[in-house]
Amino acid sequence: MKIKNKNIYGLLVIGSFIGILIFVVFGVSQILSYLNSGADRSSMLHVELNKEEVYLPKVIWKDTTNPGRSMEKQTLLDIEKDYLNAWYVRHVAYQTNLINGIDEYYTTSARQHIVANIDTNRKNNVSVIGTTTDHNLSLNFYSTDGQLVGLRVTNVREYQSVYKDGKLLLETVEESDYQMLLLLEDGFWRIRHLIKEENQADKKGFIAKGNTQVIGNKIHTGGIEYRIKGINYYPQHTPWDMFGDDFEMSTISKDFDIIKDMKLNTIRIFVSYEDFGKANVKQEKLVKLKQVLDKAADKNLKVIVTLFDFYGDYSVLDWTLTHRHVEQIVTEFKSHPAILAWDIKNEPNLDFKTRGQEKVVAWLREIIHQIKKYDPYHLVTIGWSDIESARLLQNDVDIVSFHYYKNIDAFEEVYQELDDETDKPIILQEYGISSNRGLWNPLGASEGKQADYYKQFQEIVTKNSIHYMFWTLYDFEKIPNSVVGTLPWRKQKQKYFGCIDREGAKKESFEFIEE
Amino acid sequence: MRWNSKYNSIWLLVVLICSISFTTKLVTSEQVSAILENQRKNYTAGESISLDFGLSKTVHTQLFLHSSFGSILIDSDTGSFMLPDFISKKKGLLTYELLYGTKIIYKGVLKITANRNTAVQLETYIGPPSIIVGGTDYTMQVVIPTDVYDNPLPDSTAMDMRYQFLDKEKEIEVYTASLIGWHRIHSYDVSGRLLIASKVNEKTSKEFSVEMRPSLPSDFQIYSNRNHEYADGNQITEFTTSILKDEFGNIISNGTRVDFNIKTENNIVLHTQGSTVNGVATAKILAPDDQTRWQVKAYVSGMAESNVLNLEYKSVVDNFEVKFAKKNREIKVGPLLSFMDQLIPDGAIVSMEISKQGEFIEKKIQTSFLGEVVFRLHEGFYTSGDYDLKIKALGLKKEFRSIILQ
Repeated sequence: MKIKNKNIYGLLVIGSFIGILIFVVFGVSQILSYLNSGADRSSMLHVELNKEEVYLPKVIWKDTTNPGRSMEKQTLLDIEKDYLNAWYVRHVAYQTNLINGIDEYYTTSARQHIVANIDTNRKNNVSVIGTTTDHNLSLNFYSTDGQLVGLRVTNVREYQSVYKDGKLLLETVEESDYQMLLLLEDGFWRIRHLIKEENQADKKGFIAKGNTQVIGNKIHTGGIEYRIKGINYYPQHTPWDMFGDDFEMSTISKDFDIIKDMKLNTIRIFVSYEDFGKANVKQEKLVKLKQVLDKAADKNLKVIVTLFDFYGDYSVLDWTLTHRHVEQIVTEFKSHPAILAWDIKNEPNLDFKTRGQEKVVAWLREIIHQIKKYDPYHLVTIGWSDIESARLLQNDVDIVSFHYYKNIDAFEEVYQELDDETDKPIILQEYGISSNRGLWNPLGASEGKQADYYKQFQEIVTKNSIHYMFWTLYDFEKIPNSVVGTLPWRKQKQKYFGCIDREGAKKESFEFIEE
Repeated sequence: MRWNSKYNSIWLLVVLICSISFTTKLVTSEQVSAILENQRKNYTAGESISLDFGLSKTVHTQLFLHSSFGSILIDSDTGSFMLPDFISKKKGLLTYELLYGTKIIYKGVLKITANRNTAVQLETYIGPPSIIVGGTDYTMQVVIPTDVYDNPLPDSTAMDMRYQFLDKEKEIEVYTASLIGWHRIHSYDVSGRLLIASKVNEKTSKEFSVEMRPSLPSDFQIYSNRNHEYADGNQITEFTTSILKDEFGNIISNGTRVDFNIKTENNIVLHTQGSTVNGVATAKILAPDDQTRWQVKAYVSGMAESNVLNLEYKSVVDNFEVKFAKKNREIKVGPLLSFMDQLIPDGAIVSMEISKQGEFIEKKIQTSFLGEVVFRLHEGFYTSGDYDLKIKALGLKKEFRSIILQ
């Protein structure tokens, strides 16, 4: 017994000794590394700042000729970088009511104006969450010694949402012109004078002049009225990952033939924000998308391209990154004949609860503006998940779209209500039923029930000549977790919405969908 | 297509039941309209600005102001708003929106201009601070005239730019554009200091100066100076340049480096350098210890060069004595006598190469002391046998074959 106690004490002593040693060594190393930080050249020269892209508004240098000194390319890049950083730190400062970073990008006499504004807002518990999305810069002046520049910036698109006591009070979008002087101090181009001026721009709306148009409440393509009879499309083996590594054009081409044989004329496809490379869209993805669109044009199918799949940030400071994403895609395909419409985002209203309705709606409104700016030729819609949300942003979209998975008997009535309320064309953009009766869902619909459902639904859409796009062509084998989560009964359900089963045989519903 | 659709319907049902079971209180939004009582749109910075709205009902309203440097929100219970002075002092366009709750009930724009009635403040930037004479180089004077509230004065504000150089005094009228007034000053042909000032209304700036520095040096002459022409390895030869001047006759700036390159008979290049003081650079080099001929040329790198100077050095001795002692293990070289048969000054280099049966062993180098050098070959290093010795001093060589060490 005694010996055992002795051993325990011994172990305790040794253990605590080692513990203290570890603690001391760790502490000393922490102190040493703290003392070493901040003294290296890279931090003194500010070369490591802003490596991550956080703010990418559209910047156009309209003119760099000036009566002073001719501008060097590198200096222009430096000025642009610091100019944008100045806006960015200001946005952050107004959002948080803290003035971090302001002194790097504004001279002493300029920053006091910002400080005064922010003090007032802090006192009143006001925060202004804003961003600027477009900057048209021209160089007024560049001094011989390279220490002073004068800039004029026109049509800065400024979005601001004003919160008081945490509640949204106001949203404004304004286009402003500014005149400014910047001085080179400590390696930073700092704003010395900033003067808001009258906006000289002629305000023109965006008018779709393309092949697809909305006239009255009808969709027209090529001058002829067009009724959408369509399908939400994913290839059978790569659902929710159409443009991934397993992208196979021949499969898609065959599927297009099937769709064509069903006498359908439109497909809806999905472009994932992350998969396509976020703010820097990957060229190979654009090539794949182009192949799909070219093939659709070949087969005489129209395409609704749904953007921003799986995107979920919406924060105002993230806006400009999404704008760059959309600019690259939309500019590339602005004259593509296969595209009928850009669908901004699939079911964005599902994010209302977690992200806040105002934030999501403000983001959508601005994205529509951006798309129209780069592509005024195609229509724009939003794929709301329910008919109630379809009332939102009615004036901003060209076509109102909604999804319907509820009781079929109630459909005609709610559709009629929406139709009475809006003067825009309406697409029933998703509907369908899963034939997933089985272990996970003993009360689910059988294939027969699914066929009945379509029979009934197709009668309704034909009677009211509704634009329709059902969900979907195939039963899928695998559903990614990002779609419905990990629970097996949800996944199982999602697998059986098709009208062609996993083996490629037509399900009973097929004949009713076929025109 | 996501799972929520089904759950949403259940939730809707629950909400519906709830809303039936509780009586709902309806909030009717009142219609409030506003008119601006004072329709003035233009203000001068520093004036107090009050926006008084006539409201159809006395309610609490808020005013959102968007100015050059950002936005603020202020409150009022009466519909009358006094803008804070940091807003009313700042030049620029001011947009505002009157809010009742979350509703915009009035929108407007004000323009605040710089206050010309206050004392003008001048902010002057001059650069580069030094320029080169000759008229092609120039400096620039940039002036930002502002009012006391730091607002740049409007475009086309007249300002006098003044500068003085030697006997010249000039005054130029410049008009501001894009917030600034600026002017280029080209250099003259004479170096010196340019004084610059500016004046707007009655306000004058400080005095600024720009240095006009001489231009690039033009080609020059070099001279040498030595006590005698003997290669004694001891005396110092000094090179000097003529006064270095630019093409306009300005003495080039002090501290300009001049490199002297010396090519010997054996095509070895020696180098020395000096910096100019009042246009003259001086450089020194030790005389060779062997008769030779030097070709000297000086350069200001990339800018100017000198003539070639030829220098001849005569041999200082024609013979020296070598004595062997202590069984040939102590070799005494000397006395080394210079050109007047004086002992050569201490420090002349004497070398001895030792080899045995054609195989090189060592080269010993020593400097002279009192005209003599002593080499010792210790037994520990040199076993007894036949050795060949080559002794070299002041350009002369002596060879001793088969010296027997015991």
